Amino acid sequence: MTRTKYFDLTGKKALVIGAELPAGGAIARAYAEAGADVALAVLTADEAVMRARAVKRDIEAMGRTAAEYVMDVTLGKNVQVTMRQIVKEIGGLDMVAIAPDLFLAKPIEKISDTELQRVMQVNFNAHFFAVRHAAEEFRRLNQPGRIVCVTSVLGERGLPNATAYAAAHGAVHNFVRAASQELAAERIMVNGIALGWMDWMTDRISPDDEEAQRAVRFTALRRAGRADEVGPLAVYLSSELATRNITGQIFPVDGGLTQHL
Amino acid sequence: MLEKFDLDGKAIVVTGGGRGLGRGMAMALAEAGASVMVSARTQEQLDRVVAEIRGAGGTATSFACDVTDSKQVDAMIAAAAKEFGKVDAVFANAGGGGGANAEFQEYPDDGFEAVLATNLKSNFYTSRAAAAQMIKQGGGGVLVVTSSGTALRGNRQFAYPTAKGGVISLAKSMATMLAGHNIRAHCIVPGFVSQSPPKDDQERAFREQRGKFMPVQRLGEWWEMGPLAIFLASDASSYMTGHAFVIDGGGLAGGLGPIAFRPKHEW
Repeated sequence: MTRTKYFDLTGKKALVIGAELPAGGAIARAYAEAGADVALAVLTADEAVMRARAVKRDIEAMGRTAAEYVMDVTLGKNVQVTMRQIVKEIGGLDMVAIAPDLFLAKPIEKISDTELQRVMQVNFNAHFFAVRHAAEEFRRLNQPGRIVCVTSVLGERGLPNATAYAAAHGAVHNFVRAASQELAAERIMVNGIALGWMDWMTDRISPDDEEAQRAVRFTALRRAGRADEVGPLAVYLSSELATRNITGQIFPVDGGLTQHL
Repeated sequence: MLEKFDLDGKAIVVTGGGRGLGRGMAMALAEAGASVMVSARTQEQLDRVVAEIRGAGGTATSFACDVTDSKQVDAMIAAAAKEFGKVDAVFANAGGGGGANAEFQEYPDDGFEAVLATNLKSNFYTSRAAAAQMIKQGGGGVLVVTSSGTALRGNRQFAYPTAKGGVISLAKSMATMLAGHNIRAHCIVPGFVSQSPPKDDQERAFREQRGKFMPVQRLGEWWEMGPLAIFLASDASSYMTGHAFVIDGGGLAGGLGPIAFRPKHEW
């Protein structure tokens, strides 16, 4: 446990959206380790629930409370209603981490209307809805709030076959900036974590793909990142005391990948 | 995982550590467990900061130094390495104003060079000396501090934003050049920050007025760089390098209009 007050989330109430995914799970565990009780929202009512239960067990083992919820992030109304229910059940809300992720890699001419829509819905719309209703809850509770949008470095750089995904994350990047401007005066800080090549991303950096492995070695630190390297930053950005003057910023956890250019 | 924020056993040098942001970072780093060497030109300021840190139970020492002189900077890092046996992180934070107030086409050599010396060369000298030590010992962190003033272009003091922009490029170059030596490099970009509590009501009112121009409706405070300093000096940021960390109350994320400008157009 850290000795400074800056990263202490004792007694705080957190919501992690996409808690069944590696980044969300790591953030949920880090929140709990810093002292928060955590609501775990999963994107689909399938094995995602089981994965969130594993996170829940870890959190309960730390002596915090955790509960899992299913949230359809493609529907604004569902995000609103589920979030209201969560706030009621966990007894407040101090921070929300939004970490959905749906990768698609196809040449632009092969991406269908439906695929584009789905990529935008899960990777971008989810952030919009979650921030819209998190802000609503913070306002209703009349308290400051911290929002962390987990996005990708592809939101500011291009890559072949990643047009839809990169565009969706580019939308998240600038949504973070614009939302920060709108909500700062209400002491609601909105920041982003942009992930580079992470070791769980076998959908884009398959161990069998030599080109992908070369891409990983192209990062300054010459390796992929790990889930436990995301958690501490999320804790920092969610600490009310530590981030009263930080908003609208995207923090790459990318091993220096975006520093080449 | 949160033990990653602990700085127990780490040795850290902070230049410009006599007051303001440097003092704030040094105090936070010491609170997180680091042994800190603060550096500035004025020994009297350093004595006060060292006493404050020790009074709070921390470990600190000082080294009076003009960071625009590379020989003095080398001596500072050598002194830190001797005192602590190593240098795990350095915060090249010293900087300042100065220079000339002139039209671009008339801007004098000495004014430009003075601003570059204080704000860019100093960071290079400090980073170079620290990196040499870190390569010897197997790794470390180099943190250079600039200012969101780097975005304030087109005024008669353009040398300052020019130098501060160079600091960001310096950090990014170091990130790629030193990664193979297990050294991470970052740049901290503070916005408008109060260096100390207001002297009187007039100063308080002035700061409140200036703060209205920030999205968060206030200026930053001297201690608010502390948690960021801990994060960057610690293992909590192990997969991050080469980034410019802006801590400016939302200023640079916006900036397209005066703060009260909220377009309205519904359909």
